[in-house]
Amino acid sequence: MGKNLKNIAVIICFVSVLAGMTAANIIKADADLSYSERRKLAVLPQYSFQKLISGDLFEEFEKYSLDQFVLRDGFRSLKAVGTYYLFRKADNNDIYVVDGHISKILYPMNEKSVANMAKKLNDIYERYLKGMNVYYSVIPDKNYFLAAEYGYPQIDYGRMIGILGRQITDMDYIDLFDSLSIDDYYKTDIHWSQDRIIDAANKLLDRMGTGVRISKSQFSEKELYPFYGSYAGQYALGAAPDKLVYLTNEMLEKAVVYDHEKRTQTSVYVPDRFTGMDPYDVFLSGAKALLEITNPENPDGRELILFRDSFGSSIAPLLLAGYSKITLVDLRYISSEILGKYIDFSENQDVLFLYNTMIINNSYMLK
Amino acid sequence: MLFSSISFLYYFLPAVLVLYFLSPWKMKNNVLLLASLFFYFYGEPMYSVLMVVSIISGYLHGLWIDRARGSRYAKIPVISSVITSIGLLMYFKYTDFFITNINWIFKSDIPPANILLPIGISFYTFQILSYTIDVYRGEARVQKNILKFAAYVSLFPQLIAGPIVRYTTVEEELDYRTHSVSDAAYGINRFVIGLTKKVLIANTLGELVEIFNNTGEKTVLLYWVMAAAYMLQVYFDFSAYSDMAIGLGRIFGFHFLENFNYPFISKTVSEFWRRWHMSLGTWFRDYVYVPMGGNRVTTLKWIRNIIVVWFLTGFWHGAQWNFIIWGLYFAVFLVLEKLFIKKLLDRLPAFMSHIYTLLIITVSFVIFKGEGMGEAIETLKGMFGLLDVPLTNMITNYYIKSYSVVLTIGAIGATPLVSGLVKKAAANKLCERMISLLEPVMHTVLLLLVTGYLVDGSFNPFLYFRF
Repeated sequence: MGKNLKNIAVIICFVSVLAGMTAANIIKADADLSYSERRKLAVLPQYSFQKLISGDLFEEFEKYSLDQFVLRDGFRSLKAVGTYYLFRKADNNDIYVVDGHISKILYPMNEKSVANMAKKLNDIYERYLKGMNVYYSVIPDKNYFLAAEYGYPQIDYGRMIGILGRQITDMDYIDLFDSLSIDDYYKTDIHWSQDRIIDAANKLLDRMGTGVRISKSQFSEKELYPFYGSYAGQYALGAAPDKLVYLTNEMLEKAVVYDHEKRTQTSVYVPDRFTGMDPYDVFLSGAKALLEITNPENPDGRELILFRDSFGSSIAPLLLAGYSKITLVDLRYISSEILGKYIDFSENQDVLFLYNTMIINNSYMLK
Repeated sequence: MLFSSISFLYYFLPAVLVLYFLSPWKMKNNVLLLASLFFYFYGEPMYSVLMVVSIISGYLHGLWIDRARGSRYAKIPVISSVITSIGLLMYFKYTDFFITNINWIFKSDIPPANILLPIGISFYTFQILSYTIDVYRGEARVQKNILKFAAYVSLFPQLIAGPIVRYTTVEEELDYRTHSVSDAAYGINRFVIGLTKKVLIANTLGELVEIFNNTGEKTVLLYWVMAAAYMLQVYFDFSAYSDMAIGLGRIFGFHFLENFNYPFISKTVSEFWRRWHMSLGTWFRDYVYVPMGGNRVTTLKWIRNIIVVWFLTGFWHGAQWNFIIWGLYFAVFLVLEKLFIKKLLDRLPAFMSHIYTLLIITVSFVIFKGEGMGEAIETLKGMFGLLDVPLTNMITNYYIKSYSVVLTIGAIGATPLVSGLVKKAAANKLCERMISLLEPVMHTVLLLLVTGYLVDGSFNPFLYFRF
């Protein structure tokens, strides 16, 4: 190839990429959601003089141009290829794969956040829970089982539990670490799989003194397939799907879930949500500020107030056997300051704070 | 707007290229001017007014200097120009630095002015000064067309991160320049290489530096790896911007001077500064060092000149003491080399001279990186085993392993090894054909890969917000 021909080829390639991408971006209709990233995508900013002068208009356009870029998922995959295979990095955006499991590095430990978590729990206790049976438990993230063994950074979980233990007063700790293994978690998702956490649920029921013990035989399994967890999208290179399994029985099918925010009643499991943005929303319809599950077979028993994150959505139905009602509070969406308006705290209630380690390491999101 | 952004690559640049090459010759500078003003307005809406004021000031001072030429008062307009330009720079960049130091010295309580630093002010101020001083010296002709002058100052390829393009470099090309296939291809080559260096290498190294900043489990080895990673990050980031600027300039028919020449292969500190940020080094040489007498003075005065120039070089980089100390640190080694150790260095085996220079430069970047001297001293203590930290640990080993390829690519890419090999290979006809075939393919692959990194919203810092 002559030099001039090479130069022309260089120009044609460059201009083709620029022009092609630009034209495709202009022609392509904007999407509302990214299913692989489980989030809403930025929309074209609305013009206002104020936004123009403040620079907000261009900042919003930057986000829009990234979010709405043509073949966005394909380019994210290309980047993942570059990171894993060209630069041989062990993780891409902290996502790594070992033994078929996709996980996300949780490191370093934010000790201030852990202390803040303890303070948050103590504040809630002082405000609402004095004299009640109050427990807290920690759900290990997948890194607890995978990271150190495969040479990935890992926080000192013992230290995290130690900080909580020293700083949380008037509550009993229920250790779930030894009731779980990596096989209890989805391969493509952050969460545990409901059909594999019977032991964890029994431990909670036992330690909270319900006298109830559940077994898998009390439930029938319903399978939903294919389940691509949140890590599958973040991994960006395609992963074999999981099976989402939920355990149900007559009691759970009759149980009523009341959503305080929307003032609507629904059921414990909502299989229709499986095809939505987050299939894990099958459990209790996903992230909700305040829910009540009523056990139709045990109307006069003890109640449980469960302060929880998304892991709580799948274990709460298993705990319902021990209670007449479970109130689920997600402090990511409702301020602890206003709980008294919605919940009648009484001594006939057990209280459980159940959070996974990723939330504890980022506890400032709790209101 | 950053070159390494989707908005630049797939909205701004295509639009400007189309408008520029479709417009008649007479309109080309105006297209560039409008594009450059929009480019700056996109990132700094309010401070665009300041840049326009600076441009008008520089333009009027140029006319005044030209008109006063030969008169008794010929120096007044150039002094006025220097005071105006430096005054604006001082106000917008250094006010809070002075307030902090006055408060510290006099135990006063003057509240900080909290003035946000206009992006690129240090670069365009120095460009305007180079123009007015060169017009005063008779080394440049006065520009009577304000649009051409504004196009020179605001030219978006070098506006926010350099290189500092002297007026004399582009004086003729503002009036007449040619566009050719070979220039465009060269420009594209430089631009894509620069973009790749910035997005794939510098940003990835920046991630490692960020990990170091956030980890509580530091080790001696991690301190050293961070120092090396940061040094390479700054080099790849800064030289990438220069590559992209030179490349874009060439596409539009301008020939900007080189800004970096493999500085890490230097055998002395003085050689390093002949290869690093050359446009800044030569600016200070020609407008500060030489007018003060340069090295044609007594040793004591020469030392004074060196100290002044390197104090200013450090201060130019940021309104913090660690930048000043960084500049003076180099002054110390430049004086030592010239007066005492140059002959010794010349006699040393080359690898020892390289180690000596690299060690001094590594330490300099630790000073440069620190948010104040406290952090820099802490890092240096960590590097030299004076902190109670282990030699290494599992976390350090993980990150070294994970970033080993990019560190290796960075270390090799910072030397002329690859370009030398390509040049050697190109001497062979068959290899040259292969390279010719591969070059457009490589550009396309790299551009798409870079796009992937940008779309993924990867770490993409802008290091020049302090300049």
